[in-house]
Amino acid sequence: MASKSNEIFLGIDVGSVSTKMVVLDADSLSMLDSLYVRTYGDPQASMRAAMIRLSNRQPLPVVRTAATTGSGRTLAGRLINTNIIKNEITTHTLAAVKIMPEVRTIVEIGGQDSKIIIVRDGMAVDFAMNTVCAAGTGSFLDQQSGRLGIRVEDMGEIALSSNNPASISGRCTVFAETDMIHKQQIGAPMNDIVAGLCRALVKNYLASVARGKPITPPVVFQGGVAANKGIVREFQEQTGCEIHVSPYYGVAGAYGAALLASMVKTEQPAFQGLELSGKEHRIKSFVCKKCEESCSVLMLYRDGALLSYWNDRCGRYSSGEVTYNPLVTTGEK
Amino acid sequence: MSVNIFIMKVTFPHLGSMYIFCKAMAETAGIPYVLPRPTSNHTREIGEYSTNESVCLPLKIILGNFVDALDQGADTIVMVGSGPPCRLGLYDRIIKVVLTDMGYSFRWLTIPGIFNWQALLQNREEAKVLRRELTAGNYFRFPWAMVMGWKKMIWCEHLERTAAQIRAIAKNPAEVDRLLSQGLVAIDKAQGVRSLSVAGNEAIASIEGVQKTERTPLKVMMVGEVYTVMEPSINMDVERRLGRLGVVVHRSSYFSTHIRRGSRLDRRMLKDRQRLMDMARPYLNYDVGAECNFSVAETVLGHRQGYDGVVHVYPFSCMPETNAATVLCSVSKDLNIPVLPVVIDRQDMGLRIDTQLEAFVDIMTWRRQGRIL
Repeated sequence: MASKSNEIFLGIDVGSVSTKMVVLDADSLSMLDSLYVRTYGDPQASMRAAMIRLSNRQPLPVVRTAATTGSGRTLAGRLINTNIIKNEITTHTLAAVKIMPEVRTIVEIGGQDSKIIIVRDGMAVDFAMNTVCAAGTGSFLDQQSGRLGIRVEDMGEIALSSNNPASISGRCTVFAETDMIHKQQIGAPMNDIVAGLCRALVKNYLASVARGKPITPPVVFQGGVAANKGIVREFQEQTGCEIHVSPYYGVAGAYGAALLASMVKTEQPAFQGLELSGKEHRIKSFVCKKCEESCSVLMLYRDGALLSYWNDRCGRYSSGEVTYNPLVTTGEK
Repeated sequence: MSVNIFIMKVTFPHLGSMYIFCKAMAETAGIPYVLPRPTSNHTREIGEYSTNESVCLPLKIILGNFVDALDQGADTIVMVGSGPPCRLGLYDRIIKVVLTDMGYSFRWLTIPGIFNWQALLQNREEAKVLRRELTAGNYFRFPWAMVMGWKKMIWCEHLERTAAQIRAIAKNPAEVDRLLSQGLVAIDKAQGVRSLSVAGNEAIASIEGVQKTERTPLKVMMVGEVYTVMEPSINMDVERRLGRLGVVVHRSSYFSTHIRRGSRLDRRMLKDRQRLMDMARPYLNYDVGAECNFSVAETVLGHRQGYDGVVHVYPFSCMPETNAATVLCSVSKDLNIPVLPVVIDRQDMGLRIDTQLEAFVDIMTWRRQGRIL
């Protein structure tokens, strides 16, 4: 859609498995572009990839406001210089409410987190996250598809082709894997095993994440795992509710962040994300020996110049009280 | 043959600012003591290495404290124990067994959570030995030591409460934390009642004097298992993290509350206890043990007193609090008050906790103002 100005709102979601970027037109809030790349354990590199994509747009967009979310949101916020750094739960709520204002339950399964968000009148009123275990999240599906020799994208179709899912325990990834191997060894067909895995994951989600929280329709399903049709079918069967997969399921967090950026009325610091592609950014760390806590303090350098500190528990570096001096503070890596 | 003059050295675990209380008591009574180093990742690692993985985090950390103190020359361990059904009932005994297995020799004194005959019997052997080592001077000064310890504790708690109030509205919350730790050090160093009240008053005044913002803070009640509520290094600094997000945290557990409840001397406290048990009644008809009933009761109390939400902290695998968490689901639904369960385990969970707390604050803001920005 052609726009009068080339101003945009930008949302970036740096997750454990993938990095997402959404570009919204500043006037109409329509989605101009979205990007989904793998993080591969290097959020800086994936951020750079996103920024290169942004700088290749014609005409070069002017970022009015940018917001970051996801588990890497603080780092991302520092890299592009924004103060709007929001948790995934809020941004996912904004995204779901935008596409379906009457939504009452949001199911979100990402790379390492799974969440349920209860929504009333367009506001999140309650949520739950998986506690200490990542069973039933995207990275486990990823890992298992690798072991089975199929693409994770094909898992849904394979699961749908089975009418007789194998029984697999989803309580714990280790047990689930043992069960799957056992089923393979006795000759169960691949599609039954994959369908069984989907069933187990949904069961585990309902028992340990949703735990007692009511799943009332309309339900919106977001997060990378929503691409898996087998999981969607299982959710429909086990909850008895119709599951709406968000059209932006993969980039929902980034979409929510961009929407959030559009709501901010106050003046924001200048966007510096495009410099990521040109200038050299480095992160160094040192162990602060001030107290027993021994925090490993991180420092961001752009072209050799120190930009900021973080990860110190007491905040003496990040608040600007003291600066790093290698002669006093030993233990730099 | 030389006379072997054996001087005992007492040690105690870290539990928030409790060490100031214990230290003051030992110092005033003239009993030598060893203070374990502040709890850090290293402490946690010692505990994790030497225990079964399914044991709860507080036990691991306290074990780490003891190992640290024993390495520094302590030989007598004093800790508070409580009755069953929580693992805490056997808590002290488990640590004792683990330390013995690790090859340490030491003496053990459990201060009973509730003073009764059983508690006296349990400590009979150790008390016999200790009695010989304590001098008349120690005994003579002990009442005064109790007074001094108690006064210091009350000051510490007053300071912590003030910090919790101010942190939520301060322009620079890190400043409040700095003043708080300075104040605690000053209270710790104070000798005598007068210098203590000077140090305390100064600390309070300095915290109240920081630059403030205009915002009306949210109010949250923090309930849950004692160790987790009281020790910031166990609960991943939940109180401070919330404070920095602009939330006043009212903590359910302070050390003095538990001493008062356990000693059964304070009539008012007994009544208070009964009142809380009654509040939990619609959900729990008998005492589940540890803080389970209180966690539920304080959530109800928080609702009645107009708090914006309740944060329920407990260690992973904690039996009484896992029960409470399930009950709190329906309390939250019935009373329409948001409850956030924060399950603490050994993983480095700082990021996840931040995400949960931020989202929780968003929800409370949403409920209060109808918008988040």
